[in-house]
Amino acid sequence: MRAKFISILASVALLAGGCGKSNPPAPTQARVYTIGMSQCNLGEPWRVQMNEDIRAAAAQHPELKVVFNDAQNDTLKQRAQVEEFVSSKVDLLIISPKEAQPLTEPVARAFEAGIPVIVLDRALLGDKFTCFIGADNKKIGRAAGQWIAKKLGGKGKVVELKGLMTSIPGQDRHTGFREGIAGTDIEVIFEADMKWLEPDARKEMESALSRFDHIDLVYAHNDPGAHGAYLAAKAAGRDGILFVGIDALPQEGIAYVKQRILDATFRYPTGGAEAIDTALKIFKGETVPKQIVLGTRSFDKSSVAAGGEPLP
Amino acid sequence: MKFSFWKSALASPAGRAFLALLLVLIAGAIFNANGAFFKIGTHRDTLRQASVYGMLACGITLVIVSGGIDLAVGSLVALAAVCAAKMAIHWNWPWWEVVPACLAVGTLCGTVSGWVTASLRVQPFIATLSMMVLARGLAKYASGGMKVSTAVQNSDGTYHYVEVPALFRAIDHRVLGGNLSVVTVIFLFCVALAWLALSRHRWGRYLYAIGGNEEAARLSGVPVVAAKICAYAASGLFAAVAGLCQAAQEQQGDPEAGSGYELTAIAMVVIGGTSLMGGRGGIGLTLLGVLTIGYLDKILSINAVPEAGRLVLTGIIIVAAVLTQRRGRT
Repeated sequence: MRAKFISILASVALLAGGCGKSNPPAPTQARVYTIGMSQCNLGEPWRVQMNEDIRAAAAQHPELKVVFNDAQNDTLKQRAQVEEFVSSKVDLLIISPKEAQPLTEPVARAFEAGIPVIVLDRALLGDKFTCFIGADNKKIGRAAGQWIAKKLGGKGKVVELKGLMTSIPGQDRHTGFREGIAGTDIEVIFEADMKWLEPDARKEMESALSRFDHIDLVYAHNDPGAHGAYLAAKAAGRDGILFVGIDALPQEGIAYVKQRILDATFRYPTGGAEAIDTALKIFKGETVPKQIVLGTRSFDKSSVAAGGEPLP
Repeated sequence: MKFSFWKSALASPAGRAFLALLLVLIAGAIFNANGAFFKIGTHRDTLRQASVYGMLACGITLVIVSGGIDLAVGSLVALAAVCAAKMAIHWNWPWWEVVPACLAVGTLCGTVSGWVTASLRVQPFIATLSMMVLARGLAKYASGGMKVSTAVQNSDGTYHYVEVPALFRAIDHRVLGGNLSVVTVIFLFCVALAWLALSRHRWGRYLYAIGGNEEAARLSGVPVVAAKICAYAASGLFAAVAGLCQAAQEQQGDPEAGSGYELTAIAMVVIGGTSLMGGRGGIGLTLLGVLTIGYLDKILSINAVPEAGRLVLTGIIIVAAVLTQRRGRT
């Protein structure tokens, strides 16, 4: 009895020791990889979707176990989570950081401790991580601008409902859009911050409607903003206005396009699935690029059923 | 003669609150954004936009008059909105079940706040702060962190779409030839209800007495605990009405809805001239405060003033209005 117990103990110890050293591990070993995922804030649907994408992708691979943590929009809480993941010796860390400066060092320490790190969406300073996966808001804004220019035939009156202009995504979706419509006769007649919020978008759109009798199109920096603008226009009995949003979450933007509420939306990909792909490559010992820029897709009436259209 | 007219007009809080509103309206007439301010639709939209805040302000006025404060109303908007969307969109309940159930949720949360502060003697700030966090958590829990919309998730992860419920359409409708939002009618109904309670009912007099001097009120036989619990319950009820209107206007239940609304609502109450110390104020004043902030917001919006400028201007104007109120009192 006792001998059996000791032998089990010994084999467990052997296994544990083996795990620590093997890098990359022997393929015969059926080991489970633990991935720590530190999400900065689950208050935004887009980030809920990111976790959902990671969960769905990891579910395809029984050898992966993902531990999720929500930092509730608190930088120091997220830092503590990274440190917890390091001390619990996860095999890989995925982090979508709240902000760069304060989280760069904790992540660098994890990286230096030999834990591969995948950074999602928001970048960190320096190069002490394995791979950064993110999308380019400026590119998406430009794509939206070009789509709008084409749709309106190069001229028209547009309302721009901006996200927070103190946030990088807001600035990029704004400048990208302006680059996209540059050189056309499209005129932005009204622009306002709607703070990414639907009620605020509706309020600002009402102001635009009472000021201008003719509006061709509304470009909102996110889909809820475009939806709010649509509700305002509909309530005012104004037809013939097109609505374009960004993000294309399945239950928001995609749903709105399918319901003919929005005319187009552009995906801001979460990178969740790509993060799991990259993690698998790292576990297999393959080299991965330092930076992966995700492509975007446009969804309009004609392409939404087919899953959108990839943009160059 | 002229001087004494102004003096007597400004002697009452109502006169001063009215002056603040008048100044904002004059500003609107000057900065009219190419005549947009003179369109009837602009005023209808202003009232619609201010209505949800106004409903919260009605409830908060009752609490503030009794010497308390209610910080939970913004979160209760989210909780009620999520409940309304869940029941009306996902579970297909008829409106006569959705509305009472929603209002019951809000009233229950308000009653708990009131019980914690009145019976357990926790400071109202702390008690309602806890309810604010708790209700936000419940809203997120009930919604799974996602907006509850007409895109309903199937078990295999895909979505199917359902109609916007008739209840939501009815609340987000207009009457009087499209010149008045139903939401505003509901708000005015809330104002009337709160006014009746505060000015025409014994309970209202109890609240003033408690706000003026709680100990004296207790010694003169006022049922302090019950009256206070009722004030918080009423605040929860008005917050639930606001949440229902919020959900109807967004056509969804957003667990993040209403954050920061409590502060705007408190500012509306205070600008009207209701004292945060309790015992002084009224619903009429709150109505003036609601209109003042509502119009200020609209004027900044139609002129497309950038966000930074709006915040600075709003802050300055709130302080100026409150200072005027205080100067008049001494």
